[in-house]
Amino acid sequence: MKLDGVAAFLTGGASGLGAASARVLAEAGAIVALLDRDMKLAEPLAKELGGIAIKCDVADHESLRAAVEQATAAIGPPRIAVNFAGIDVSQKIASRSKGPHPIESMQREIDINVIGTLDGCALFAEQMMNLEPFEDGERGVLINIASGAAFNGPPGQSVYAASKRAVAGATLPLARDLAPYGIRVMTIAPGFFKTPLAEGVDDRHIDKLISMVPFPKRWGDPRELGELVKFICQNRMLNGETIQIDGAMR
Amino acid sequence: MKIQGLTAVVTGGASGIGAGVTRVLAKAGAKVAILDRNVELGKAMAEEVGGAAFVCDVANDESVQAALAQAREALGAARILVNCAGIDTARKIASRKTGAHPIGPMKRVIDVNLTGTLICCAHASHAMLDLEPLDEDGERGVLINIASIAAFNAPNGQAVYGASKAGVVGATLPLARDLARYGIRVMTIAPGLFDTPLAGTMDDALTAKVLRNALFPKRKGRPEELGSLVQHICENQMLNASTIRLDAGFF
Repeated sequence: MKLDGVAAFLTGGASGLGAASARVLAEAGAIVALLDRDMKLAEPLAKELGGIAIKCDVADHESLRAAVEQATAAIGPPRIAVNFAGIDVSQKIASRSKGPHPIESMQREIDINVIGTLDGCALFAEQMMNLEPFEDGERGVLINIASGAAFNGPPGQSVYAASKRAVAGATLPLARDLAPYGIRVMTIAPGFFKTPLAEGVDDRHIDKLISMVPFPKRWGDPRELGELVKFICQNRMLNGETIQIDGAMR
Repeated sequence: MKIQGLTAVVTGGASGIGAGVTRVLAKAGAKVAILDRNVELGKAMAEEVGGAAFVCDVANDESVQAALAQAREALGAARILVNCAGIDTARKIASRKTGAHPIGPMKRVIDVNLTGTLICCAHASHAMLDLEPLDEDGERGVLINIASIAAFNAPNGQAVYGASKAGVVGATLPLARDLARYGIRVMTIAPGLFDTPLAGTMDDALTAKVLRNALFPKRKGRPEELGSLVQHICENQMLNASTIRLDAGFF
């Protein structure tokens, strides 16, 4: 689809990959709604991009529903929706020093990464169905963010990897559910990108991680992921697929 | 990489998907060398896009070497290789009516689609190894291979074609690993049904039947849509070792 003037909703759109994608989409003419927990980050970015910021916890259904309704009332139903909101609680499933992985953080990670994404798809798609179709009958596109960990998770990431593999696994049935409405569903599985999530890692560990990337030997620039988001929106033949973007880190 | 001014080699670049790739890359500013068996079509395409055409049978090692050398002489060292050359035979592996799948066409499909792709990767990447890097990340080039959704989900009659394309998908990661140290990326695209001469051999009823398997949009892809993915892969350096299905959700 053409991006000029269309509404794009991004959960987790206030920082990291979400913020960079919001910027790329806005530069291409989209009107962005940043659905985020952190209004301190979301509000100035929304202002800069000419969009809106709405407070939202994707793991809380009522919060997400209210945010989607508020965003729709403000800028219209979404043509593009990207589920960036996610967390990563790195902890081994069990170890002598820390015991078993606590259920609370396990549950929270699944709630945000899996249910938050699926609930987002449900609520965004509900709004998209009412839109006038574009060329080929296209009404909208949903993009979910998985992770390289979905296919090749390191130690300490069993819960994160499970949550992200679930997102990748949902892609095809989501695309099947929504094809009759002209709504495409794609997933991106990023490798190692320079985000606040990754910047929390200590320097020695970062050097080790970068040494594992075959080429290019650096972190991904969030803008590069944003460019892929934009390209997916523009190329209608992309549907039901998960794209790994990771500098060959497998 | 920025495509403007670079040289790109497109095998099978005179028709179908390859023609779409040739046109999109040329529009983005690349000097395109078309390597094709069909000299007439190749020359016409070269004229259209201001490139050059060289006769080439990708299944023949000497022919590939000669064509790549000619392309380099005419247009300069290639930074982009797109392997579009491919053939299809629809035939069951065995049936009462037609007997066992004959070895001749079986070998030919594997030679062109799989070995041919690997031969072109080998010689084109070898010629890239000593080029100046294009940027501070050390990127020297990118190889893009065209597989097919038949690599993942082929209908009956496509055991050989499906195997040849699955081989291309399987080679993607080790090719990328082999060439990462030289700053050469390797990606594969697995297209669904596109509007090409190959697909044009199917009658309307069969085309409609095949398109029922596409989720959305329910139409043939346009070669330019595949070309635009090739362009994005060239431009987005973080894409490496992946296979991207471009198939409207074809299952």
